Amino acid sequence: METMRNPHTFPASSRISFRPRFRRLAPAFLCCAALLLFGQAAGAQEASAPASPIWSPQLNAAERCVTCHPQVPPPSPAQLAFQQPGRVDPLVPHHGKGWGCTVCHRGAGDAAQKGQAHQPALAPAQPLLPARYLQASCGLCHRADLPDTPQLNRGRFLLSEFRCVGCHRLDGIERPYLLGPDLTEIAGKVSPEWLYKWLKEPRTLLDDSGNVTVSGYQMEPRMPRFRLKEDELRNLVAYLSSLRGKPVEPYVFDPKIVAALQNSPDLADQGEARFRQMFCTTCHPLAVTRAGETKLIGGDLGPELTKVGSKVNPDWLPAWLRNPQALFPKSKMPRYEWSDQDLFVVTRFITAKLTDPDLLQGVPKLDAPTPDQIRLGRRLFLRKGCASCHAAPGMKLQEEFGPALASLGAESVSHLHFGDAKIPRDLTAYMQAKLTDPLSVNPTADMPQYHFSSADLEALTTALLSMTGASANSAIERVTVPRKPAEFQPTGEFARLYERYKCYACHQFNGYGGTLATDLSWEGSRAQRQWLIDFLKNPQTLRPSLVLRMPQFNMTDQEAALLADAIGQTLRHPAVDPAAVDPAKFTPLMAAQGKQLYEEKYQCQSCHSIGSGGGYVGPELSNVGNWMTPAWIAAWLKDPQALLPGGIEPRRTLSPDEIQALTAYLMTLRQKEPAAPAAAAGAEK
Amino acid sequence: MKNRLAMLALLFSLTLLLAVIRENAAAQSAPRPKSYATEPDWNDPQRLIPLNFQQVRGQRLFYQYCVWCHADSTPAGPSNRSNLNPVPPLLNDGAVLNGKSDEFLRDIITRGGRALGKSAMMPPYGDTLTREEIQAVIAFVRAVAQPAFQPVAGH
Repeated sequence: METMRNPHTFPASSRISFRPRFRRLAPAFLCCAALLLFGQAAGAQEASAPASPIWSPQLNAAERCVTCHPQVPPPSPAQLAFQQPGRVDPLVPHHGKGWGCTVCHRGAGDAAQKGQAHQPALAPAQPLLPARYLQASCGLCHRADLPDTPQLNRGRFLLSEFRCVGCHRLDGIERPYLLGPDLTEIAGKVSPEWLYKWLKEPRTLLDDSGNVTVSGYQMEPRMPRFRLKEDELRNLVAYLSSLRGKPVEPYVFDPKIVAALQNSPDLADQGEARFRQMFCTTCHPLAVTRAGETKLIGGDLGPELTKVGSKVNPDWLPAWLRNPQALFPKSKMPRYEWSDQDLFVVTRFITAKLTDPDLLQGVPKLDAPTPDQIRLGRRLFLRKGCASCHAAPGMKLQEEFGPALASLGAESVSHLHFGDAKIPRDLTAYMQAKLTDPLSVNPTADMPQYHFSSADLEALTTALLSMTGASANSAIERVTVPRKPAEFQPTGEFARLYERYKCYACHQFNGYGGTLATDLSWEGSRAQRQWLIDFLKNPQTLRPSLVLRMPQFNMTDQEAALLADAIGQTLRHPAVDPAAVDPAKFTPLMAAQGKQLYEEKYQCQSCHSIGSGGGYVGPELSNVGNWMTPAWIAAWLKDPQALLPGGIEPRRTLSPDEIQALTAYLMTLRQKEPAAPAAAAGAEK
Repeated sequence: MKNRLAMLALLFSLTLLLAVIRENAAAQSAPRPKSYATEPDWNDPQRLIPLNFQQVRGQRLFYQYCVWCHADSTPAGPSNRSNLNPVPPLLNDGAVLNGKSDEFLRDIITRGGRALGKSAMMPPYGDTLTREEIQAVIAFVRAVAQPAFQPVAGH
């Protein structure tokens, strides 16, 4: 069979010896040819309506898949069932005609035999893409995330989240704002012992038997494990603990506050209460043990703080909390407005309660670093590619430290090195082996050790398979749908506060920013000014089912008013016209009609609650009259998806009168009367 | 010469046999069902239900729009289902939903419960979701149904 497939591999110079060899192999040739003909005839018989092969120069596709997979539009329900040959995916808006199959499914479309067309073992250069990675093909052209490709989107996210872009060139993957912490002044923050433990195994603590336990840091750290030998570890720690810029000055608290608080027995408890009130856990998770089960509670924007008291220098902590950007300019932590009292009790809580005396257990005694160790450590820092993600004094960022992966998805198996790995010789198995344990395919690999769940491995494989490089199929470039760059640039005082409180870390603005909290692109049309000021001063929960809440920034009245004005002026939706709805025209009769519509005809209470009754899918509406603008409510009732694409509130066909009545009713729902009663009198029912 | 030919024939048939075995081994090495994606059986999370493309699209829409009232738990925590009276059926409840035709399900999703004399708490999604999207949700419902959905002849 090998001979049959590659008749051209005989070297031209062996022409003299070719004839006898051919004579010997002739029967085999004949048998193969007969088999091939027979196979094709059988395939043709299977296909009741033989279709013509596809040749699309535009897409660089030439294939005869249709010989065995006839396409019979429209597909019958039987064809929709899985494992059915000849199935058409009717929901993909690219119908097979003209596109063919191999553009998405890959495989050797020009092969004449079933095995050669499909199986990686027989078609090493163009293997068929397994169905579970099919989303990779959407990514060939669609560089922006699609709703129907969650696995691809997750893989792309992980490539960015785990900083693969730090070392590898990966086209189209977002380069994170911050690859790794700046290490310029790391010695002022943590001890050499902590660095030793972290570098040895960033992920978890090891128990006595050497098994990995998740009792240390529970979150999967972005920092991978570099397999460092003992002397390498010590040298690297020596180098890092020599990185001490200006020493951190201990913050001097107001002596009156220290005197008043120092001896109170519940100092740490007061600190914990303040810590919770300020919602630090919205970004930083804490491990909480309830009924014998330990769980992480909180968001994952910042590092886990369960044992941070045993990690950081106690003098560094207040300095950091007061002004993170002074120590680390690229930090995304907001600069809170602290009172001395709050700062004192919160730092006391962190250093007294968020600790673990056993954290540094097993770390050997580290002697003072010698200049030699520091020199070797610095060399190792560069050799291991640490400077790809971390800034250190006198070092440039190492770019493309690892091999470029921008065309890995189209790599031929013959170019991959499998070493002694007991895995199938195909690209997807190679990717998964490399991601699971880089040494399994190459014992001298520099790539550090990561830990991915099996679902994440599949997602990463999908994303890597979607990167076939520009050269692999230049025709694809012509139909590529690029990713839209998102940006939001506030100006003036708004920009200063936006940067200080890092609004974009959690909120989206015109497609730019975090996804933890509500999209604020149209907040200026939605919320009333006074409500915004009150909320910024003291954030309340708006949805009963949400656990994470906006932290309390302790901002001044002036700052809150400034932000509310800037939001009201800039973040406006073009479809919401404030002049279109005049609340002065609302009558008690309208409100009564609206209440009836709300409770009976449309049964809004199935999802929204007012007071204690109702569902908790949508926001709580007890105070909506003070919260939202009437123009926004009317526009929302008319077409929710126009204001929030993909929003779950169903669009209904309401008459203009019904919209007016419902708006009038919702505007009567107030928990406190406005300071200057401008709305209709006697609104409360 | 005769011996040689026999030898060659034997060698050739062995190669063929090997190729067939390899083909089979390759087919058997795939550990999971040949499908686009899977959804765990709600009653037995160890069992994975294979889904085709349309059903996967339905799955995504279900977890975006329907899960809040038609499942016992949601990605955000407890479900809103217990708040409602009458209690909405679980989406995998074959005992209730297998008896309904595709047309009925399409109608109630499109026009809401009130239009069909059912609970008005089921809102209409005809202006929010496209016809194809609603069809995809129905395909997903059929895929996860327990007891399994048997398509009626002529469907």
